[in-house]
Amino acid sequence: MNGTATKAAKDRRAYWAMVLPSFLIYLFVFGFPIVLAIVLSLSNYGGGKMFGGTSWGITGFRQYQRLFADPYFWNALKNNIYIVLVSVLGQLPLGFIFAYLIYRKTVKFEEFWQGVLYVPAMISTIVVGILWSIIFSPYGPIADTANHYYASAYSAKISGIFQTTGGLSDPDELTDQIIKASPSTINTVFSDPSVDLKDFLLSYEPGDTATLQKDLVNLLAPRWNADFLSKNNVAMIPICFVTLWMWVGTYLLIFLANMQKIDRGIIEAAQIDGASEMQIMGRVVLPSLSKVIANSAILCISGSLSGFALILAMTGGGPARVTQVLSIYMYDKAFMGAPDYPLANAIAIMIVLFSLALVGIMFALERRFGGKE
Amino acid sequence: MKKKICSALMFLVILSMGAYAQKTTLTVFDYIDATAPGYAENEAIWQRFIDENPDITIVKEELSNEPFHQKLAAYVAAGTLPDVMYMYPSGRSTMLHEQKLVKDLAPLLGKDYLANFIPSVTDPSGQKGKYLAELPQSISYTTVMFTNTKLLSDLGLRVPSTYAELKAMLPKLKAKGIRPVLMANKDDWVMQSCLFSTIVGRMLGDEWIDNALAGKVKFTDKEFIKALDFVETMYKDGVIGRDTIQISYGEAPALFAEGKAAFFIDGDWRQNAFLTDPSSGKALIDPKRQQTDFEYFNFPAIPGEKNPGVASAVLGCGYGISASIPAGSDKEKAAVRLLKYLYSADVQRQYLELGRYITSRKDVKSDKLEPFTVKMAAYHDAVKKTCYVLDGALDTSIYTPLNLGLQQIGLGTKTPTQVAQSVQAAVDAWRASH
Repeated sequence: MNGTATKAAKDRRAYWAMVLPSFLIYLFVFGFPIVLAIVLSLSNYGGGKMFGGTSWGITGFRQYQRLFADPYFWNALKNNIYIVLVSVLGQLPLGFIFAYLIYRKTVKFEEFWQGVLYVPAMISTIVVGILWSIIFSPYGPIADTANHYYASAYSAKISGIFQTTGGLSDPDELTDQIIKASPSTINTVFSDPSVDLKDFLLSYEPGDTATLQKDLVNLLAPRWNADFLSKNNVAMIPICFVTLWMWVGTYLLIFLANMQKIDRGIIEAAQIDGASEMQIMGRVVLPSLSKVIANSAILCISGSLSGFALILAMTGGGPARVTQVLSIYMYDKAFMGAPDYPLANAIAIMIVLFSLALVGIMFALERRFGGKE
Repeated sequence: MKKKICSALMFLVILSMGAYAQKTTLTVFDYIDATAPGYAENEAIWQRFIDENPDITIVKEELSNEPFHQKLAAYVAAGTLPDVMYMYPSGRSTMLHEQKLVKDLAPLLGKDYLANFIPSVTDPSGQKGKYLAELPQSISYTTVMFTNTKLLSDLGLRVPSTYAELKAMLPKLKAKGIRPVLMANKDDWVMQSCLFSTIVGRMLGDEWIDNALAGKVKFTDKEFIKALDFVETMYKDGVIGRDTIQISYGEAPALFAEGKAAFFIDGDWRQNAFLTDPSSGKALIDPKRQQTDFEYFNFPAIPGEKNPGVASAVLGCGYGISASIPAGSDKEKAAVRLLKYLYSADVQRQYLELGRYITSRKDVKSDKLEPFTVKMAAYHDAVKKTCYVLDGALDTSIYTPLNLGLQQIGLGTKTPTQVAQSVQAAVDAWRASH
């Protein structure tokens, strides 16, 4: 009896001897910063030395009140929710479907597709951000393509008008027709289009209609512009698209690796029983991966809420904070403009709380709907 | 024999250890764009100091634009400021001034040394902390209208003297696919610093800003809203395209050099981007074209302006020394030696020749300047009266919503009145805490 008790005590000591160093390191690396962030979020700390510098103290939940009253916080949270939705409802299903297609050899050259889809995740996030910001810039390929299309369509209209009106031989009719065919931006170019446009047309030699038509296209054709950036919901579309493009390959690999662990005998049995490809996917493969999907969803959620580099490189949260997410909002408060460390820490705590809440929801959903292994 | 060799070796080891112990290490945080012309020459200037001062080790870190400011803010937050750092006289370096994180350079550099500089840069009242926290290398004129005069003359246009004339140019310019005014408005400080400050200086004047900070007038008063209205008018008129809000600070000079715009508004420091890179021999605009095809002008007359011809200007940036270095220490002496070298007539002449800035040192002349640098000095002389750069005059908590609001006006998501209200709210909060 005595010997058993001694052995149990020895085991306990051995257990703590092995666990305690890791536990202490964990507390120091993870616990301490979280506790410090909580303390700072409840304080009026203004920077500089924490001890021996400007005095600071605990001021309660004032920072959280400020946070909830700030419309930019809600905007950043909304943008984060968009990214979470795109990640969970976009990256995971697409990753799963692509993985399934490769796993079941529905597509040829599986390794090629696997590589192609994974390449974006291998490129530096900053490089990806800059690359796409150039693609979406006013001088980028999207703007160029759109402007080329607009210019071609408008050029055809102008050519038709010159043919039907006889060009500069009837400047009044020509002016009227051009005004009718032009977008409303004509009113920003000419304060009185019917007078000013006519004067503009008459400033060209009658024989120089080719140049005139070209100049009219430059002047009045609709152009790709940044108007979509002023609409909060639309401004996030490029970022959501790039987020999807970048990370689908990662989840493809995770799902594919786990699909390869499924006993092929089960799938063959299902096939013998007459199961269709959709039934195999929905009734056999999907339930087998429910835990993996739940864990991937957690990765997705935490990545989406803490995602920083891609948006910083693409838009910096701008213009005018339209594309700001919580992590950039936090960074903005901590390091840009007027540093506000307590508010920045309050934002950090909110990010942690949202992550925990969403992860909790994911676990609950997995328990309720997940397959039993 | 062996003993003698051992003794000699020991002596050498001790001697070298002694030499090593006497070496002072200075950490430096410098502001420079590694892709800008003259980068290699700048590195050579620093290398010369390292070579001439074997007792000092320089550990240098370089960044530019937003990353520089953000990293400096991180250093401040962490309490790990470098020994010597590039900094602003106010604005983004406000924390360094207000928390007295850098030393007063006046006693360290001495009266005789400072007498080499134009008096306004050594006047401590121009700096946020009201002491010589950094020695400004220049006076920065933050509104310069870089003008492609050849492009204008090819289209039969002349340089506008009023906003109405500028607006009237639009059809001819746009018909040739040329943007009237280019600005890199993706960074929100650009509109405020490089144009709106001049608009406010012209329409309201510095005294009005002083009164607003003192609570005698409000940013919601119609005078200030009119200044914001003018920004909105420029966007609505198409003089400044709304898509400039997508143009980054780095890409704008190349677009202007390619002839995509007739005018480019930025600060005087931006001339450097167009000059010949001595290491590659290439320039965005070669010296011949700088001479014949381009000029610098002030922004044209604005409707309703009270102070014609005024342009915004602020004390330039310079180097400061961390206050954490013990007074009288070897490190402090090394930092002072470094600053005296960087501000020496020879180094300042080199920076002038590289087009970095028009130096504040009085005894620097050169006949090796590219036309853009010569023209910039002439532009400085032509601007007879200057006004505040708002991010130098206002607290960070006040100009932050202003910068944001100017972008929102550009996007059309906020009206000038709404922006004025957000700025006044920031002023009220700032006044309540001071």
